[in-house]
Amino acid sequence: MNVTAERMSISTPHPPTPAGLFPITRSGPESGSEPWADSGPGPLLESEPESAPGLSLEPVPDDIETVGEATVERPRMTSRNVGVMYGDKMGIERVSLDIGSNEVLAMIGPSGCGKSTFLRCLNRMNDTIDICRVSGSIKLDGEDIHDPRLDVVQLRARVGMVFQKPNPFPKSIYDNVAYGPRIHGLVDGRRETDAIVERSLQKAGLWDEVRDRLEQPGTGLSGGQQQRLCIARAIAVSPEVILMDEPCSALDPIATARIEGLIDELRENYTIVIVTHSMQQAARVSQRTAYFHLGRLIEVGETNHVFTNPRHKLTEDYITGRFG
Amino acid sequence: MRTSVHTSEAMARRLAKRRAAERRFRAYGIVAITLAILALATLFTSIVGNGYTAFQQTYIALEVTYDPEVLGLGEARDPKALSGANYPGLVKKTMRDMFPDVKGRKDKRALYGIVSSGAAFMIRERLLADPGLVGRTERIRVPADDDIDMLVKGHIDRQVPEAERRVKDNQIGWVETLEEAGRIERRFNTAFFTAGDSREPELAGIRGAAVGSLYALLVTLALSFPIGVAAAVYLEEFAPTNRLTDLIEVNINNLAAVPSIIFGLLGLSIFINFFGLPRSAPLVGGLVLTLMTLPTIIIASRAALKSVPPSIREAALGMGASKMQTITHHVLPLAMPGMLTGTIIGMAQALGESAPLLMIGMVAFIVDIPGGPLDPSTVLPVQIFLWADSPERAFVERTSAAIMVLLAFLITMNALAVVLRRRFERRW
Repeated sequence: MNVTAERMSISTPHPPTPAGLFPITRSGPESGSEPWADSGPGPLLESEPESAPGLSLEPVPDDIETVGEATVERPRMTSRNVGVMYGDKMGIERVSLDIGSNEVLAMIGPSGCGKSTFLRCLNRMNDTIDICRVSGSIKLDGEDIHDPRLDVVQLRARVGMVFQKPNPFPKSIYDNVAYGPRIHGLVDGRRETDAIVERSLQKAGLWDEVRDRLEQPGTGLSGGQQQRLCIARAIAVSPEVILMDEPCSALDPIATARIEGLIDELRENYTIVIVTHSMQQAARVSQRTAYFHLGRLIEVGETNHVFTNPRHKLTEDYITGRFG
Repeated sequence: MRTSVHTSEAMARRLAKRRAAERRFRAYGIVAITLAILALATLFTSIVGNGYTAFQQTYIALEVTYDPEVLGLGEARDPKALSGANYPGLVKKTMRDMFPDVKGRKDKRALYGIVSSGAAFMIRERLLADPGLVGRTERIRVPADDDIDMLVKGHIDRQVPEAERRVKDNQIGWVETLEEAGRIERRFNTAFFTAGDSREPELAGIRGAAVGSLYALLVTLALSFPIGVAAAVYLEEFAPTNRLTDLIEVNINNLAAVPSIIFGLLGLSIFINFFGLPRSAPLVGGLVLTLMTLPTIIIASRAALKSVPPSIREAALGMGASKMQTITHHVLPLAMPGMLTGTIIGMAQALGESAPLLMIGMVAFIVDIPGGPLDPSTVLPVQIFLWADSPERAFVERTSAAIMVLLAFLITMNALAVVLRRRFERRW
């Protein structure tokens, strides 16, 4: 690989105190001797203090070819050395990436590059595929999401997901939004449910359009409305992170613009990871952008940086439209 | 005009050939469908043509005097005496009074033969219900004997020599006299729907078999639906894909193709010989039919589960629903119409099945209407089989009539399946 740019630099400054206690070094002997490659599911750093969640305390393995800033100062989620195998076919390998709080991270790359696969690792949706094996460590607020003590049901409530094709349940609009709070026992009685349904639909910018027909089936809405209903459904359970897998690919430009505006508003309260095929969209909505290629994370960085001044040849080729 | 590849003569020939192939293909399809419709039409015409007269029965109006002397009652009027009185004698006396000129044993026998042997029982029922009738005279309608019924309905040719038909010349004479007197009439054959089986066609009905079928089907439904759906849900949603589940899948498909009589043998050796359940019981019939129906229900239910779009499952799982919640809240409701359709079709198959039930003794001649799933009984298709075996001309039309009833049930069930599918079909 033609890697000319700085290899795996951790350019973000470390917060003074915890970083001092747990030094992160790029090529130090301690981190170099860590058996990263063998780390399966399970807590990696048992000794990690609970008093410092949300801090990027984990060193990134130093043999990874990712260019740019894979880590951030206050990560909501961290992934280290994540690999996915579909049977004996490689999905992604050695992806180490932080997702900062209240940021929109866009993942771009040609089809089949593994960005959706990585996204589905973040709420363990890959568990539903029999032959899929995930390795490496993914943490949410410092907790390993593969920890057997952590219920996947709870994880998916904390890390919500919006899919490529709008997929409302074939139930009423009301029941679509109320479903999550009901199964997680977040609401007690009709009044609370009503309130949460209204709040979620308002946040998703759908309330004014559907307030008079909450009992009508969600599948009767237009494509853009359905996708906003799915977003309302996802935020009804108050997740910390929302994963969006090409949420606008089935929508027309007007509906797309509405969703993009919505993503920008949601950033205030949620951390959002969005997979997109549209580079304009990535540039419009995200603060950071990650470029994937053939199952590897090639480059991560500030969105305007990645688009105006890509450091890796592959990123540049993709962004300038030479392939993909 | 410029000739290109697409406007050349060779291309025109090729096009003509393609069109001809398409026309031929259509013609084959139309021929196939026409044949199928013709076959069906022949079947229905023959069944309906043979059977529609069975819904009517010839009745003869008798002027009956409930003479205590003839009945051998004396002064007694208690139910026991009434129930044991000489009713056949009363019928004979009534017949003799109607045709006083008939002399000689043989002729008298022929005369008595034009009313059904059930007439005596009808009179008995009447008197038991109302003992005050003794000594009075009333006109009551009793069923004619099946041969007379056939004669009146025109199934027996009056021109054939006497020796070659079941009705004697003098009987024809009496019937004609009665017809002139307006004492013979054809009415709706209620006995066909309210009576059990009988050796006398005019008294035979399908109720015993229908009730037996109902009990057997209830047992089948109660067992095969839950078991079938549970098996399908497990195999489709929970079971890992490995050699064992592959083997199970292959064997379920094999079971669906096993001749049904084998299931009857299985039922005989397991339920009757091993577990000692009663023979001829709808319970055992239902168990055997359950074995036979299960593969159909499992296969249909699995297909229904497969057809639920994965996006719905992903949506539910992505919301943090557990596997169980995903299935019970979303997948099952969406798959239910398909499962119900499969179940109804399986039930319709079970309703029409006779071979396995022959093996477990549901082929016996049973007059009583079964009172529960443990009483000996038969089922509609087996009743048809039994009647089809009987030599009397009157049973021929009753066989066809029973087939019509069975077909009506089957068509209703299949229509219900279609309605269910339409009604609950969801679009997503």
